[in-house]
Amino acid sequence: MLAVLALVWPRLGHAESVELSTFSVVRGEEGVLLSFSANFELPRSVEDALIRGVPLYFEAEASLFQSRWYWRDKRIAHATRSWRLTYQPLTRMYRVSTGGLNQNFETLAEALDSLRRSSRWKLAEPGQVEDDARHYVEFSFRLDTTLLPRPMQIGIGGEAAWSLSVERTQRLN
Amino acid sequence: MTKPNRWGWIASLVALTATALVLFFLLSITTGNRAVYERHYAWLFWVNVVVAVLLVLVILAAVVRLQVRVRGGRFGSRLLLRLVGVFAFVGVVPGVLIYTVSYQFVSRSIESWFDVKVESALDAGLNLGRDTIEAQVKELGAKTLLAAERLGDAGAQVPPLALERLREQLSARDVAIVGTGGQILLAAGSASNSLTPDRPAPALLRQARSSRVASLLEGLDEDGSVGASLARVRAMALIPSNNFALGEQDRFLLVTQMLPPRLTANALAVQAAYREYQQRALAREGLRRMYIGTLTLALILAVFGALLLAVALGNQLAQPLLMLAEGVRQVAQGDLTPKPVFASQDELGGLTRSFADMTAQLSEARTLVQRSVDQLDSARANLQTILDNLTAGVIVFDRHENIDTVNPGATRILRLPMSAYRGRRLDEVPGLQGFANAVGARFESQAASREAGERDQWQDAFELQTAPDREVLTLLVRGAAMPQDARLLVFDDISDVVSAQRAQAWSEVARRLAHEIKNPLTPIQLSAERIAHRLSPKLEGADQAMLARSVDTIVNQVQAMKQLVNEFRDYARLPAARLEALDLNALVGEVLALYATAQEAGQLRAECEPGLPLIAGDATQLRQVIHNLVQNALDAVAERPDGLVRVHTEAARNEQGELRAVRLLVIDNGPGFSDKVLKRAFEPYVTTKSKGTGLGLAVVKKIADEHGARLRVANLGAAGVAAREGEPASAGAARGAQVSLSFSNFPPADRHAAASAVDVARALT
Repeated sequence: MLAVLALVWPRLGHAESVELSTFSVVRGEEGVLLSFSANFELPRSVEDALIRGVPLYFEAEASLFQSRWYWRDKRIAHATRSWRLTYQPLTRMYRVSTGGLNQNFETLAEALDSLRRSSRWKLAEPGQVEDDARHYVEFSFRLDTTLLPRPMQIGIGGEAAWSLSVERTQRLN
Repeated sequence: MTKPNRWGWIASLVALTATALVLFFLLSITTGNRAVYERHYAWLFWVNVVVAVLLVLVILAAVVRLQVRVRGGRFGSRLLLRLVGVFAFVGVVPGVLIYTVSYQFVSRSIESWFDVKVESALDAGLNLGRDTIEAQVKELGAKTLLAAERLGDAGAQVPPLALERLREQLSARDVAIVGTGGQILLAAGSASNSLTPDRPAPALLRQARSSRVASLLEGLDEDGSVGASLARVRAMALIPSNNFALGEQDRFLLVTQMLPPRLTANALAVQAAYREYQQRALAREGLRRMYIGTLTLALILAVFGALLLAVALGNQLAQPLLMLAEGVRQVAQGDLTPKPVFASQDELGGLTRSFADMTAQLSEARTLVQRSVDQLDSARANLQTILDNLTAGVIVFDRHENIDTVNPGATRILRLPMSAYRGRRLDEVPGLQGFANAVGARFESQAASREAGERDQWQDAFELQTAPDREVLTLLVRGAAMPQDARLLVFDDISDVVSAQRAQAWSEVARRLAHEIKNPLTPIQLSAERIAHRLSPKLEGADQAMLARSVDTIVNQVQAMKQLVNEFRDYARLPAARLEALDLNALVGEVLALYATAQEAGQLRAECEPGLPLIAGDATQLRQVIHNLVQNALDAVAERPDGLVRVHTEAARNEQGELRAVRLLVIDNGPGFSDKVLKRAFEPYVTTKSKGTGLGLAVVKKIADEHGARLRVANLGAAGVAAREGEPASAGAARGAQVSLSFSNFPPADRHAAASAVDVARALT
C-alpha cells in the first residue's frame, strides 16, 4: 500500500485527463499479459507545440509486484513502452516511432490511434509468478514532459494542459 | 576561537559555497554548454535556493543579534552597526545595479531573438521546399499518367525495351508494370542492388486504383542524411486497356524517381531550422524565466553574501577596536590588569599590543609609586617614633612660622602643652614670647648673613624661664632651615650639664684656693701666738685683755679658715676610693658615737637593720659622708625644739627576695629643701644654711659617685611619708627632708656570706 501511495502521491495534483477505456491483466500460459486502451485528446496547446515541431513522448509503464507482509513489496517485473510522436511540416505527415519501428500518418487522429492501445503486452514469464502469492500490477500512461527541451519544461511549469497521465493499480487474479 | 569568529567563518564558508555555485552556473551559461547546463539546472537551482535560505536565516540571526545588542546599549554595537552598514552598502549597491542592467539585457535580448521577419522567412522557406517537392510529385504523376496512356495505346504487351526507353525518357530510377495487387510484372531499372523494385506502398496502390493516377513522396525522413539520399517520388498510373477481355487484370505503371539530394538536404535543413525556431519560440517564456531566475538567485546570493561578509568583516575590524575601547574603559576605572592582545600583524594588532604594554607600564608605575609611598609612610613612622623618643625637643615651623610639628621631648623640656599650639605661632604660647623673638631674630640673622659654604644652621644657648615660679632652664638651641622655607628648631635642656660644669669648675677653684690659702695660715697662726706669748707678760690690764682677745680672734679665724680650706681640699682632692668589704652598721655606730650629746638630747636616733650584708666601700670616705649628712640634718633641725634626725639602714630586695641594694637613709623633720636647691643640691655653694661652705652635699655626691652608689634627695610630704621619686614635692607643705644613699656595689665573694647573715638575723628575731 505504501508503495502504491508513494507512486500515486506525486501525481495527485495532476488533472486526470486520460481515461482508460479498457484495462486488463491476464495471467495465462504465456505469462502475464496486459492490454489497455487509453482514451484522450491532445489539448490545444500541446497540439500547437506538436505542429510547431516539438516531439511528444508518451510512455506506458507497468510493474508487477508481489505483496509481502514482512517487507516492502517485491517488484518481479518492470516494463516500459514509449512512443515518439512528431510532425513533419515538410511533408505534413505525423510520425510515430516506437522501438525501431516508424510509421507515418496523414492525420493526427490516426497517429494517436496507433499509440493509444496495446494488447497482450507481456509483462512477465510464466515462471516468474508464483501461484500461491498475491500479486498486483501498477500501470501508468502519460505524456512524458521530462524529455521535452529543458527551457520548455520550465516554461510550461505547472500547466495542467501538459499533464496528461493516467494510473491504475490492479490485483492479479 | 571565539564565538563571533566562528560565526564569521561559518558565514564566509556559506558565502564561498554560494559564490562557487553561482560561478559554475554563470560559467555554464557563458560557455554555451547547454547540455551540461540544462542537465544540472534543476539541482543547481535547488541547491542555490537552499543556500539562499540558509544565508537568509544566518543573516536574520546576525541582524537580530546586532539589533538586540544595539537595543541593550551593549558596548561597541553601534560601531559594529555602522561598519556593517558601510560594508553592506558597498556590497549590495553594485550587485543591485548589475542585476538591474542584466535583467533588462536578458529580457530584451530574449525578445529580440524572436523576430517576426525571421519567423515568416522560415515559414516561407518551409513552404518553398514543400511546394517544390509537391510540384515534383505532381509532375511525376502527370508524366506517369501520360506514359501509361501511351503504353496502353501501344498494346497489351509491352516490350521490355520500350519500358527501358520510357525509363530513360522519364529519367526515373526504375520503371515497372505492376498488377492490381501490387505485384511486379515487368521492371526496368538502374538499381543495381536489387533486381526488382520495391512493391508500391499500399496507400499509393489504393489511391491509384481509385483515381487512375497517384503519386507519393517516400523516404523523406526528418532525421539523418540517410533518409535524404533515399528520398524518392513514386507515381502510379493505370495503363488503359483496349481489349476489354474478361479476366484481364488492370495493369499499372509504377515510376520511381529519386529527388535531387541538394533539394532534399536544403528542404530538411529548412525544416530543422523551422522546428528549432518554433521550439525556442515556445520555450521563450521558460527561457526568460530561467535566466531571470538565475539572475535573481545570483543577486540574492550576492547580496546576502555581501551582507554576511559585511557582518563578518565588520566584526573582524571592530574586534580590536572594541577590545581597545573596553581596555581603555577598564583602565579609566582603575583596573590595570593585563589586557588581551589582538593577534594580528597589522596596525590594529600593534595598537592593542602597545595598549597592553602601556597598561602594564602604568601598572608597574603605580606599583612603584605605591611602594615608594609605603616606604615614605614607614619612613615617616620611623621618624615619628624617633622624634617621639628623642629626649631633645624638636619643633618644626612651616613657611609662615607656624608650629608644624612638635615632639613630646619639647613638651617635656618646656613643660608647656606645645602640641596644643600646633598651627599657631610660637610667640602665642604663654611664657615663650621672649624665646620666640630671640629664636626668630636668630633665624633672620642667619638667613640674612649667610655666607657661601656655610651650613645653614646655627646653635645657641638660651636661658629661659617659662613661668615666674619655675626655675630657669638652660637650653642649647640649634636651628636649621629646611626645604620650602620651613625651619627646624632642636633644643636640649642642658641645665644638668651646666651644673656639672659648674661643679667641675668649682673643684678646680677650690683646689687652687686651698693650695694658695693654706700655706700662709700656719705662719699667721704661729705669729699670732708668738705675739701673744711675747707681749702678754709685758702688757697689763686692758691692753693685755685686748691682745689676748685679738690673738684669740686671729687664731680662731685662722682655724676656721683652715677648716674651710680643708673642706675645699677634701672636695677638690678627694683621693681615689679604696673599696673594701665594709659593715655599714658598724660604720654608722662609729660615726654616731661622735654625736653622743645629740643622741642623749633625743635629737638623733639610729635605726639600723641588723644583719646587713657587707658593702664595698672606703671606710674613711663613707665616714665623712655619714658625718656630713648627719651634720646637715642636725643643722636643719637645730632651730626646732622637737627636731629629730633618724639614721636608718636597710637592705632593699626585689620581689624574688634577691638582694638589690643596701640603703642608708638620713631623715629629718626640718623645713626641707626649696625647689631651687633640690634641683642643684649637689652643686658646691648651694646651701640653705646661713653658715657653712655649701660643700657638704657636693662632697657626698662625689663620694657616692666614686662608690657607684645612688644618691637621692627628696622632701617629705605633709603626712611625713617619703614622696615618691620623680614626683615633685608640693612646695610649702614639706615636713622634712630625706637623703638616701643606695649601695649596690658588693664585695665579690661576699654576697653569699651576706645572704646567710641575713638568714641568721631572721632566725634570731
